[in-house]
Order: sequence, then structure tokens, then C-alpha cells
Amino acid sequence: MRTSLLETEQIEAHLMQSAEPGDALVFEARLLLDPDLKDKMFWQQKTYSIIRQYSREQLRGEIEAAHQKLFNDRQHIGFRQKIARLFSKK
Amino acid sequence: MNENKVIVKTAENREKLFIALYKSVFPAVAKYLSKMGGTFDEAKDIFQDALVAWYEKAASDGFVLRSDEKAYLFGISKNLWLKKHRHNTQYVPLDGFDAESEDHGQVSDSKILNFLKTAGKKCMDLLRSFYYDELPLNDIAETYGFSGVRSATVQKYKCLEKVRETVKQKALTYEDFLA
Repeated sequence: MRTSLLETEQIEAHLMQSAEPGDALVFEARLLLDPDLKDKMFWQQKTYSIIRQYSREQLRGEIEAAHQKLFNDRQHIGFRQKIARLFSKK
Repeated sequence: MNENKVIVKTAENREKLFIALYKSVFPAVAKYLSKMGGTFDEAKDIFQDALVAWYEKAASDGFVLRSDEKAYLFGISKNLWLKKHRHNTQYVPLDGFDAESEDHGQVSDSKILNFLKTAGKKCMDLLRSFYYDELPLNDIAETYGFSGVRSATVQKYKCLEKVRETVKQKALTYEDFLA
């Protein structure tokens, strides 16, 4: 892996607290000396949060697509009627 | 307790899973919520939120399901309903957003997301498989056509680095715009 990718991997290990104790110490020392590394770490943390938001949105889309299939496709008519009956008594 | 593993590698796998869960659990949830005075739309929203919560938990457990999984999903739905109604007596959140989530950070997040959905979809999907679906490395390699686990890992860090630079660049641009 090229150097920058190794650094990205080390930032990840630090953020996810999965680094070996020795490597973690070296990384913490580098953080104190290298403001660029600190900056990358800040944005990498933000990136994980963006990935989570993106993934959740995608998952919601997939669940909605399954819902639409169940409530629109002819093959699921029995299921649809069963649910409709539960809400028709009001 | 019986255990089995669900396959969630592709969107097709997941659709099958959600349809199966809808068929086996939604009738019980709908029956309960209808009895509690809920509407069909409320039952739909609650159940979909429960599916998201269930999925995230299952992902962190490696999608190994236990035999009481359906009861668990029903329990989440019931709790979400009770929580919603406790909140409704105090205040009604606007479209699911509270005051805190409407700050500038969230505004730029949604702009960054919109940008990445089109310009970075390939990388975002790969990163989703790693970090959100938590799929095993060899499944990811196979699904995305990498030669092996190592090549999938290298691609993950390439994507992470690329998205990180985009997030930084876009966040700073939007901050300038808002300032």
C-alpha cells in the first residue's frame, strides 16, 4: 500500500482504538508534531459519520422499495388485504 | 437456540430479507398498533424505523440470527410506538428533526451527502459494505470483483481517502457560503 493509504489505515486504527499499544504511542506522538495528520484525522472522523448517514439513507430506500412491492404487486394481494382489514374497523 | 445466517451481500438479498420480515412480523405489529389507535401510515413508519434499528444490530452481530429474532423486531416496534407517544404529550418534532439537528453542520452534511450520492456512489457503496453492513472481507472482494481480500482492503482505503478529501473540501466550501 502506498504511504498515504497506510497513514489512512493508521488513522482508522487510532479512531477505532484497534491499534497495538506500541503503534498507538507512536501515532499519538506524531499527532502532537504533525498538524496535517491531526487535520486528516478530524476529516476522517467526519467521513465515518457521513458514510453512516449515507448507508442509513440507502437502507431506508431499500426498505421502502420492499414495502412498495408488497403493497403494489399483484402477487402479494393476500398480505395486503390482511393488513387492510386491521385498519378498516375504525 | 437455533442459529442461522442471513445473506445481505446485495440489494436483491436485502430486498428478499425485508419482504420476508415484513410478511412474518408486520401483521403482528400492525395488529398491535391498530389496537393502540395507530393508523396504517404510523404502523409503516414505526416498522420501517424498527427494521433499520434491527438491521444495524444484526450487522454488528455478523447477521447470525437467533430463533427469537421476530419477537425482538416486534419488541423494537412496540418500544418505538411507546416512545413516540410519550414524546407527543410534550412536543411534536417537525418531520423527525429536532432543533439540534437543524444547525449549520447538518445543512452542510446533507449537501455533502447529495454530492456524494451522485459523484461518489461507487466508493460510498463499497464503504457502506465495509462499515455499515460490516460484511466479511471475502464477501466484499467477491461482490465487487476484487482479486482478493488484500485488494479489497487497498480499495477501501483509497475510497476512504478520496471521500475524506471531498468531505473536507465541500464542508469548507459550504461553510464559506454560510458565513
